[in-house]
Amino acid sequence: MINMDVFRGFLEAIHHLPEMAQPDHLTDAERLSKAKAVMRSKMDRSLALDLEACVSCGYCSEACHFYQSTHDPKYTPSRKLDLLRRVHARETSAFAPIKRLFTPDITVDDLKEWQELCYDSCTECGRCSMICPMGVNTARGVNVMREALFEAGLAPLELTAVAQEQAGRGTVFGVGQAELMKAIEQMEVQGISVPVDLPQADVMVVTSVIDVLLYQDALMGTAKILNHLGVKWTLRSAGFEGANFGLLSGSEALQKQASKRLVDEALAVNAKTVLIPECGHAYPAMRWEARLDNGAPLPFEVMAVSEYVGQQINQGHLKLLPGDPSRRVTYHDACKLARHGGVMHEPRDALKALGVDFVDTQPTGEHNWCCGGGAGAFLINRAEGLRHKAWQIKREQVEATGAETVAVSCGSCRLNFMAGAEKDQWPVKIESVVAMVAQQLPPTSEHQIRPLA
Amino acid sequence: MTFLDWVRGPLLGLSLTIFVLGVAWRIYALWCMPVSHKPQAHEREAFGTSAAASSAAKRMVPKGGFHPSATLATVNPYIFHMGLFVVFFTYAPHIAFLQRLIGISWPALPDAVMYLSAAATIVSLLIAILFRVTDPVLKRISSADDYITWTVTFLPFVTGMAVLNDTSAALLARDHVIYGGPLALHLLSLELLLIWFPFGKLMHAFLAFPTRMQLATFFGRRGVRS
Repeated sequence: MINMDVFRGFLEAIHHLPEMAQPDHLTDAERLSKAKAVMRSKMDRSLALDLEACVSCGYCSEACHFYQSTHDPKYTPSRKLDLLRRVHARETSAFAPIKRLFTPDITVDDLKEWQELCYDSCTECGRCSMICPMGVNTARGVNVMREALFEAGLAPLELTAVAQEQAGRGTVFGVGQAELMKAIEQMEVQGISVPVDLPQADVMVVTSVIDVLLYQDALMGTAKILNHLGVKWTLRSAGFEGANFGLLSGSEALQKQASKRLVDEALAVNAKTVLIPECGHAYPAMRWEARLDNGAPLPFEVMAVSEYVGQQINQGHLKLLPGDPSRRVTYHDACKLARHGGVMHEPRDALKALGVDFVDTQPTGEHNWCCGGGAGAFLINRAEGLRHKAWQIKREQVEATGAETVAVSCGSCRLNFMAGAEKDQWPVKIESVVAMVAQQLPPTSEHQIRPLA
Repeated sequence: MTFLDWVRGPLLGLSLTIFVLGVAWRIYALWCMPVSHKPQAHEREAFGTSAAASSAAKRMVPKGGFHPSATLATVNPYIFHMGLFVVFFTYAPHIAFLQRLIGISWPALPDAVMYLSAAATIVSLLIAILFRVTDPVLKRISSADDYITWTVTFLPFVTGMAVLNDTSAALLARDHVIYGGPLALHLLSLELLLIWFPFGKLMHAFLAFPTRMQLATFFGRRGVRS
């Protein structure tokens, strides 16, 4: 069971994040200059092609949960790239000297207006790219916009505060080694062995602040499954945080720094596999974007924990107790894990192996609707109402399946689902894929002295 | 030199030159943009150029699984793209015009096909502009490029209607032009389109396929079918 007091405390802490952000002292001219410098430096062939190919058909609004739930045309995804489009037209496009005569330069006011469009109302879910007739990668452009806004000191204060904390102290929401060890002690009390700081291991587990504080069932489930499998695994206290607020806020330097901490630990223990927790953005941050210091691809495998568990089940290494076939369960694809990560089949295979009545939402997989809380949007206080509206689409999708449980494999999605459920008094259970699997492990090992709380 | 001679001669040459050089320059400028050569993470599935091309071709078919849009808004672009193709490439006088330019020809479709296609395209373009000025999303995201592009696409159809007084066989059988003024206007409208082409969104004719391919590759390497 999730401790709802901790959940509410977490929400309360989010309300105070803006107060923790360290202010910068940039002038408007400096903000504009910094933002444009980032836009110019990121303007490569791929982005330019995306910007030039758009035909303003507006189809992307069909796919966007923020537009569909509000019908406010300002949320049309293609519009979110307008500032980039203007900078490109004026400075780097084929006919820049001519275009400059007719295209107004961007201003600080534009940047401030675009903050809401690129953070509050875009989770970089990528669904708009699926419908775009031209195949424009809007999420990538929004990510560049986030980098520009962050450099200009115009990221939302909530994300700025956490990014500053992660860059400065290496912690997220105050969770460092001491807090991790406390959570592990609680797990040990429940009879779940957690091998911390082993010098060598085949599998290195990464966790996240949200699992340490709130979703301990997911962390415990991961430990129980690995112990059950007899895998030589470890969790390194010097590099355990999967959440990457560099990626979320738009700080490329912090993104690399946060990834490097994990990469260094994985190299130190000679890990063959690094398991990413149920945290949507943490997966592409490590699996698809992290590199060695010299820019080479990572020499170890990076897997999402739900992907790993599904794979172990499919390979016959993990057998589960029979489940309740009358229990209807559906699955929510976290955008970063599925559409942007490619992890779609394994979590479903794991859920089907539970012996429950598994029903997919429609649409699903790479076309699934975002829950509205990803890419840091959940932390932005002023976006609460907008997020809740967007979540209604997801809610309707789940309700249409008739499921009594929706399984998720992303802490941010789970938070957003829980916030929506609490507000609407929604009765559907919201559970972790890994925790559900762990609950049906055969009681054959010494690690299951007590049942999972 | 009559107006028609001028439009058929120097102005046609100028507009074709702007079209060819403009398109080439725009593609070359894109090609010269920086490209990341960082080694990428190991792909989940092999996804090569042919897979990307196949995915780009399949993107012409609308995707299921999205909120139902107005059927007309989805069908309309198909109508005017196909109509444009039929009118420009299968009408006998147009084929004769292209033969003079590029030296090759092909069999024409009956005039009736062109009449029907032109009518459908004109209606379709009118619906498109109606959507653009009334739909809140399209109104919000539209720029001058959208309206100029619509105008230069629509004008050749309107001016073309003014020279449709004979069958194509009769038109081609004559050794002189009897509707010089309207024909000059028709050619002029085509030249406007050619001149605008490299500067606006008509370039999507060249950019759509590579953009689709790069997105398909981005997702495909990750094991996601786009």
